[in-house]
Amino acid sequence: MLYGGQRFTYPHIISGVNAVIEITIWVLRAFIAIFVIAAISSTIGSYSVFRGSTFLVSGIAHGALAGAALGVLISLYIVPAEPYFFSIIFALGIALAVGYASKKQESMDVAVGVLFALSMSLAILFLSMIREYSAIAWSLIMGNLLLLSSADIELMILTAVFLTLIFSLTHRKMLFSIFDPEMAKVSGVNPFKYESLLFVLMAVGIVVLLMGVGAILVYALLVIPAAAARRSFKTVEGTMAGAFAFTAISGFLGIALSLYIDVAPSALVGLIATIIYAFTFLKN
Amino acid sequence: MKSIVIERLTVKYGDYTALKNITFSVEHPSFLVVMGPNGAGKTTLLKALMGQVNYEGKIVIFGKKPIEALDRMGYMPQRERINRNIPLKVKDVVLMPLISKNVFGISKEHIAMAKNALKIVGMESFWNSQFSSLSGGQQQRILLARTLARDPDILILDEPFSATDVATKLKLIEILHSLKKKKTIILVAHDINPLVECTDKVLLLNKEIIAFGTMAETLTEENMERLYGTRIPIIRYGEVCYTVGSDSHIHI
Ligand SMILES: Nc1ncnc2c1ncn2[C@@H]1O[C@H](COP(=O)(O)OP(=O)(O)O)[C@@H](O)[C@H]1O
Ligand SMILES: [Mg+2]
Repeated sequence: MLYGGQRFTYPHIISGVNAVIEITIWVLRAFIAIFVIAAISSTIGSYSVFRGSTFLVSGIAHGALAGAALGVLISLYIVPAEPYFFSIIFALGIALAVGYASKKQESMDVAVGVLFALSMSLAILFLSMIREYSAIAWSLIMGNLLLLSSADIELMILTAVFLTLIFSLTHRKMLFSIFDPEMAKVSGVNPFKYESLLFVLMAVGIVVLLMGVGAILVYALLVIPAAAARRSFKTVEGTMAGAFAFTAISGFLGIALSLYIDVAPSALVGLIATIIYAFTFLKN
Repeated sequence: MKSIVIERLTVKYGDYTALKNITFSVEHPSFLVVMGPNGAGKTTLLKALMGQVNYEGKIVIFGKKPIEALDRMGYMPQRERINRNIPLKVKDVVLMPLISKNVFGISKEHIAMAKNALKIVGMESFWNSQFSSLSGGQQQRILLARTLARDPDILILDEPFSATDVATKLKLIEILHSLKKKKTIILVAHDINPLVECTDKVLLLNKEIIAFGTMAETLTEENMERLYGTRIPIIRYGEVCYTVGSDSHIHI
């Protein structure tokens, strides 16, 4: 699924009647993926914007990228392995390391920055060792929205349902921990526990986004729609709903356009998300 | 009745001793003002009262250990630590500690408690307002309401007047004054002057106790010099003392 060769030649090369069906299935999957990503963006994106840890999002995304690159390397030359398994391990590693550093009073920016540099170095190292498979690197970095297998989609849906469930059960405690950790603590809500949980869930969600839109656009689809929603809506619930809507709009429009213009859909999706964000400035 | 009894309290952060050999007790109801320079361990003392730091020695709150008496204490942290990025309404802020243990739904009882607390601070008409769009002083009153919502017996207020204007400060003091007949109020402040009407006891703290007692007993020029390292003249009217040129101007 991950390294099926041609990343950006769409299935519509296949000729005849089948082509129509093929396109529909791939496009349908892409639309479902966008829906899933929007659900993840609505929670993780909003919490990151509320907490002011959007830099952590790109830190984790690049950790996930390094992990996937290592996974590809191992599965090509050593044993068959699922690259996203390594992604999630690396992403969790970054999330927990940052949580630990911030508990030890290290500035979160510095901790993320250091781990960011480490992840990028490792990602480049691993990817450069699989030079002949540059298509793989591309797909990790830029995503393969229109080439998702049904197994990918199932995994993405499952993860989104899981994340949404956990977030809805812990919403109040999570919000309290972010708003006022000290008061949360004396009220019997352990802010360290909920922050760590948030970081772990961020890592899981980010890997799902990596599968769909690639490492670079994780930030575009997790943070930008939530940031735009934060500027446009006056409540927590409004921000979350807005983040969902903005992500979905960017995704659907991006995919629709990519069917007419032969460029990577993730690029269009990222551009549209940014344009929506820019509009929130015009409004105010 | 004593609400708080502290004996030989010592708090260390690693090798650093933040509080050393602290012994005092507080009557219920009463109004205690804690003063001391930055880094004196004032916040640490409040956290120890709520069992939030490891300590040596004894702390008894209404006959119980701090952790077991948490439901009788209401805490108002220093305001700078609060996250203003979240688009919360006033009601969300006041209800937050009341409902955080419930996953869904808000009971009528909690709404009544929150509304009553807002009434005490004179902000009941702001129920649906955006918290972050209020002035600093109004936000401070909302945060006090949040602390009052559970109707705690002990109020623990960490620098509630920092970064507030004079009008807010006077309003907050008026509210606290109306509560002091029923509650133990412990308040960290840099300026005693606006509080002279309410204050029963003063604790001068700089890692150790410099002085503890009534204003007349504690607010002497020698004590202030030991506390802050500079001379601060004191004016006395019988039991009431005013500090002249205290660092209050820094905080306005
Ligand atoms: N969690 C902590 N870990 C290590 N040192 C701390 C911690 N909290 C406070 N301190 C240190 O303990 C001292 C007292 O802090 P604090 O109680 O906040 O003082 P105050 O509130 O009087 O300004 C300061 O020197 C501070 O740096
Ligand atoms: Mg302090």
